[in-house]
Amino acid sequence: MNQIANSDPAVVIIGSGAGGGTLAYELTAAGIPCVLLEAGAFIKNEDYHNNEWEAFRQMAWLDARTTSGSWRVAKDFPGLPAWIVKAVGGSTTHWSGATPRFRDYEFRAKTTYGDIEGATLLDWPITLEDLAPYYDKAEIAMGSTHRHGRAALPANNNYKVFANGAERVGYKQYATGPYATNAEPYDGRPASIQDGFNFQGDKNKSKWSTLVREIPRALDTGLLDLRPDSHVVRITHGADGKADAVLYVDKDGNLHRQAAKVVCVAGNSIETPRLLLLSESNRFPTGLANGADHVGRHYMRHMTGSVYAQFDKPVHMFRGETMAGIIADEAPNKPERGFVGGYYMETLSLGPSFLAAFVEPGAWGPEFAAIMDAYANTAGMWIVGEDMPQASNRITLSGTVKDQWGLAAPNVHFDDHANDTAMRNYAYEHAQKLYEAVGAVSSHRTPPYPSTHNLGTCRMSERPEDGVVDKWGRAHEVSNLFVSDGSVMTTGAAANPTLAIRQAEYLAGALKAGNL
Amino acid sequence: MKTTRRRVLLSSASAMVAASVGTRAFADIALDPGKDEASRQLLARVVRVAFPHPNFPDSAYLRTADTVLAAANGSPAQRLDFAASLYDLDQAGFAGLDDAAALAHLKTLENAPFFRLTRATTVVTLYDDPEVWAVLGYEGPSFDKGGYLTRGFNDLDWLPEPRIEEYEAAQ
Ligand SMILES: Cc1cc2nc3c(=O)[nH]c(=O)nc-3n(C[C@H](O)[C@H](O)[C@H](O)COP(=O)(O)OP(=O)(O)OC[C@H]3O[C@@H](n4cnc5c(N)ncnc54)[C@H](O)[C@@H]3O)c2cc1C
Repeated sequence: MNQIANSDPAVVIIGSGAGGGTLAYELTAAGIPCVLLEAGAFIKNEDYHNNEWEAFRQMAWLDARTTSGSWRVAKDFPGLPAWIVKAVGGSTTHWSGATPRFRDYEFRAKTTYGDIEGATLLDWPITLEDLAPYYDKAEIAMGSTHRHGRAALPANNNYKVFANGAERVGYKQYATGPYATNAEPYDGRPASIQDGFNFQGDKNKSKWSTLVREIPRALDTGLLDLRPDSHVVRITHGADGKADAVLYVDKDGNLHRQAAKVVCVAGNSIETPRLLLLSESNRFPTGLANGADHVGRHYMRHMTGSVYAQFDKPVHMFRGETMAGIIADEAPNKPERGFVGGYYMETLSLGPSFLAAFVEPGAWGPEFAAIMDAYANTAGMWIVGEDMPQASNRITLSGTVKDQWGLAAPNVHFDDHANDTAMRNYAYEHAQKLYEAVGAVSSHRTPPYPSTHNLGTCRMSERPEDGVVDKWGRAHEVSNLFVSDGSVMTTGAAANPTLAIRQAEYLAGALKAGNL
Repeated sequence: MKTTRRRVLLSSASAMVAASVGTRAFADIALDPGKDEASRQLLARVVRVAFPHPNFPDSAYLRTADTVLAAANGSPAQRLDFAASLYDLDQAGFAGLDDAAALAHLKTLENAPFFRLTRATTVVTLYDDPEVWAVLGYEGPSFDKGGYLTRGFNDLDWLPEPRIEEYEAAQ
């Protein structure tokens, strides 16, 4: 592995997930050495557990966090606002891999949806056309099924219920993907063995993650200096206002300084704004790149929910790929449904360990027991749609709670927008109808889990006063500071690695031309 | 009323140990319920009433009770509260109540720290137990067995085989 001196001003990337891991590979492949700092450990596929709680405890980000607001997560899981992975590979190790594309009008949310009270909608500074070539590259890299010649995954049991229900209620746009797990061997990785543990990290390596693809390849270039167990706690700047170094803590609590010529932050949408807020200085008294007061705001988590339906015959939903089933019929914007934006339906399966904790948090008694007793005959789906950005949904620094290093913990404040609630209720109703159409004897509306999709807290904007970064992810206020993860999403959807590939190309060009 | 009695109980531990009331003496209060078989059995009954699965074996409920007891082993105040709650249940004759009466009794305790801890620990313990998985029809870790590829990932036969390709591609 390449070793870059701490005093050598380097391209420094913070976080090795979808954004950071992809960026590290694209830059090193273009001949640019990088330091990649990752707070979590270097855990390999063979170390993963086929057990929900063990895997969660092994890899989830469990540092202190707090919550506030009227969302139910704040009541049921006050210390766990989100499910994010802290390990090399980031949340791509636990993600399920559904990869539908953004639609063109979704980049123009404000223009398309108009003024929605309480929502801070904004058009993106880029269009679907700008992104299309990078979507292609990302889908090819991830081996998304149904795309670029990749075969579809076969129908598993949960999908059979889901797809037949879809057909019977008149949906057309259902399929087993696009889904970033191999149906056939591809790109040096084997076909899925349908083991059902992809939320636990896929031991078989059939699922794309930066751990199985981008990081080993970046290491192979000989240009990557990967440092696991390195938690960045501050980005410093020089008299010129440009970032000049990052300070990080190793697993024993020792502080280190890495000089930087470019800093790319990709800690996911809670840690990225937290780090910028923690990096306040005389020059940036409210946090780095936060002069316009958008860092941490407009936090989005997608409108989500689940429906679990019980049948009088076996389903065994846990056998097979967790989310290899997508329905897109409800994805378009049809305001006549009583809300703007759209949503997808996706198959979802939890084992009894997780189902008990999440199906109806706080519940007990015979009705709860009946849901669990029906486990083998249960089918499940997730609903996931665009949620409205709101300035008051935001990440702030806790005034009271500290993490293990003594640093202010992030607080995640969230209230559903009326549009989110209307969409969720509509989606619940239609999910239940779908299952009734194939004979469900009962079904249950499960509230949103701790957020797996965290977006928007350093949003992209054309004008500096409307956001944190420009269309390349470059901070409006700090010319060599980039945000390289889902925080940059101006509004609700799209796949992150896509943006990172595009940013890498820009950065490589700028670095080679000496513009940074 | 209950609170008052509890407060008396907690504030006068020594007097309480000497006193003797009802079917079981105060002297019997288990200050360390984790080491007391009767407390363990009583708690297992609480868990079974709160999460009633006729097909689950007693062994699973007892394992969960042990995990709850370990979780209750916090500060002296928490330990006392937990011990006192079990004591109250015992005094109320909980073990002898039928399922409906026992459930109704637990409903009155729903917001008590004792019950909240028991509930919260149970949902992440009882259903994370291989013996319970077997009863529920969940097959657990699968990677070492080659996944479910040849073990029924697509064996559902009461619905037609659906299309897997996208709609446009299938036209
Ligand atoms: C269970 C689950 C299922 C999902 N399913 C899907 C899906 O089907 N489709 C989809 O599009 N998305 C899905 N997602 C979401 C997707 O995984 C994330 O959107 C994506 O990984 C985000 O990329 P990121 O780079 O922003 O952050 P991450 O991938 O989370 O990476 C952030 C990394 O930064 C590290 N880090 C954070 N702070 C610091 C710091 N201060 N110093 C050093 N390192 C730091 C973290 O440890 C982590 O490794 C899912 C997520 C989960 C958890």
